Amino acid sequence: MPQTAVVEYKDYQITKEAPVDSSFIRFLAPYGSVLKSSMGKVIGFSTEGLSLKQPESTIGNFMADAMKQQAEKHFNQKVDAAFVNYGGVRSNISKGKLTVGMIFELMPFDNLIVLQKLSGKVLMQLLDKIAVDVNGGWPMAGITMEIKDKKATHVLVNGQALNTTNIYIVANSDYVANGGNDCAMLKGIAQMNKGILLRDALIEYVSWLTANGKSIDAKIENRTTNVN
Amino acid sequence: MANQLMQKLKTELPMSINRRKFINQTAIAGAALLASTLVTKEAHAEAANNRLTILHTNDVHSRLEPFPMDGGRNQGMGGVAARAALIASIRKETEHVLLLDAGDIFQGTPYFNMYQGEPEMKAMTMMGYDAATMGNHDFDGGIENFATQLQHASFPILICNYDFSNTPLENKTAPYKIFQKGKIKIGILGLGIELEGLVPQNLYGKTIYQDPILAANKTADILKKQGCDLIICLSHLGDKYDDGKISDEILAKETENIDLILGGHTHRFFEIPRKYTNKKQNEVLVNQVGWAGIQLGRIDYDFSLYSAGKRVASKSILIRNK
Repeated sequence: MPQTAVVEYKDYQITKEAPVDSSFIRFLAPYGSVLKSSMGKVIGFSTEGLSLKQPESTIGNFMADAMKQQAEKHFNQKVDAAFVNYGGVRSNISKGKLTVGMIFELMPFDNLIVLQKLSGKVLMQLLDKIAVDVNGGWPMAGITMEIKDKKATHVLVNGQALNTTNIYIVANSDYVANGGNDCAMLKGIAQMNKGILLRDALIEYVSWLTANGKSIDAKIENRTTNVN
Repeated sequence: MANQLMQKLKTELPMSINRRKFINQTAIAGAALLASTLVTKEAHAEAANNRLTILHTNDVHSRLEPFPMDGGRNQGMGGVAARAALIASIRKETEHVLLLDAGDIFQGTPYFNMYQGEPEMKAMTMMGYDAATMGNHDFDGGIENFATQLQHASFPILICNYDFSNTPLENKTAPYKIFQKGKIKIGILGLGIELEGLVPQNLYGKTIYQDPILAANKTADILKKQGCDLIICLSHLGDKYDDGKISDEILAKETENIDLILGGHTHRFFEIPRKYTNKKQNEVLVNQVGWAGIQLGRIDYDFSLYSAGKRVASKSILIRNK
């Protein structure tokens, strides 16, 4: 038996110039036309576009702000912080028209917004997890922090230093609150749940911004900074 | 025109992909010229029966249509119509093809929210997929939904480390499957990722996750004993992690009889298949082709160097550009 095997490899790029098999276009057409009617509705406009990165991103700030505002509205109470897990942000938003379908691509999961009352100690555990998730940093609203030596430091909640004995009202997706994305520290803590899909909340938030003459844009605000 | 095209490619693709594409195309043209002049018909037939072409995707995530033309980085890329045409053209030039997917078929475009995976399964069946494994997002419609959508799939779902007893998927998947292509016998197994902490428990139900290395070694041993010349693992574990979590890298090093791992989950576009040395000091290849059907991976094995009944397992593997 030879000691060396020879293999040949190639990665084919499926570019927009690639030839297509028209039978597949015909196969997709009936599904696609139904989708177009429900998903093609334009609900907003982005001047700059929104994109994802760590520790902080424009699309992340947009989503976390939407979650906090919508949580406060639907639960009719003040929310201290809102989080979106980094891996749960599934697309960017290009500049130009924003459709319902684009929100489905951004948030395809049927995740619900839930509130939990977290002690400052548990909130700190969550922030330390966030500091090391992938390359560190999640979309969040209501909190600023630094990441140093893979730990969350200089944490401010509503501009005040985090107090480990305080109780904070925190919005997360039910996925994260149930311990998903390795957030075991949240599992088992009572949840307030009004059956609000995060995706529906995003659509409502975008429509609200648009109705108020605002574009769908966001800035980097140093909510999370790396200091190593 | 060519200039415009290059310019466009340069703006849309990382430089390294461009350059490799150019080199690949040049190499193919040269090889085709040589082949047509030197090889006789009989030798051609013999060579064809000793040659296996493996095509693979992972993490297609319901990307049935190309990315929309919205100015984004991936605009116009992917889509089943273009992938199907490419696969058909490869099938015309080479006889023995295996078409495989490493999971996360579902979730990511409104097609899945609306149709729960039916068009994805139908399109893969139309393209002639030979096997796939399950990714974590294939549970997103619930385990019952995945079981329901299997009615539209004519290819098997291979997974050897999920125990589906007392779930809707009981007896609907297989740990492995053996394929005969020309003179080559190929064993394929599948591996899934730890579900707890990743997938909501109500979606995966009573599925029990088992140690991937134990399951892979046990299953690959069965395939070896059945005389497989090549053993392929479809894996949704992810290529590698900083925190030592089980990955394709660890799998490759800790197994004995797997020759090729086709991975997914981490959406990584490999420049070239990675090589690792396994427990038996043989080399193992790992490959992954990003996500969304932007790429189709191809790995060709030539078995003409081996006499019948000999496995491909080798101390070293030389990887050439096709």
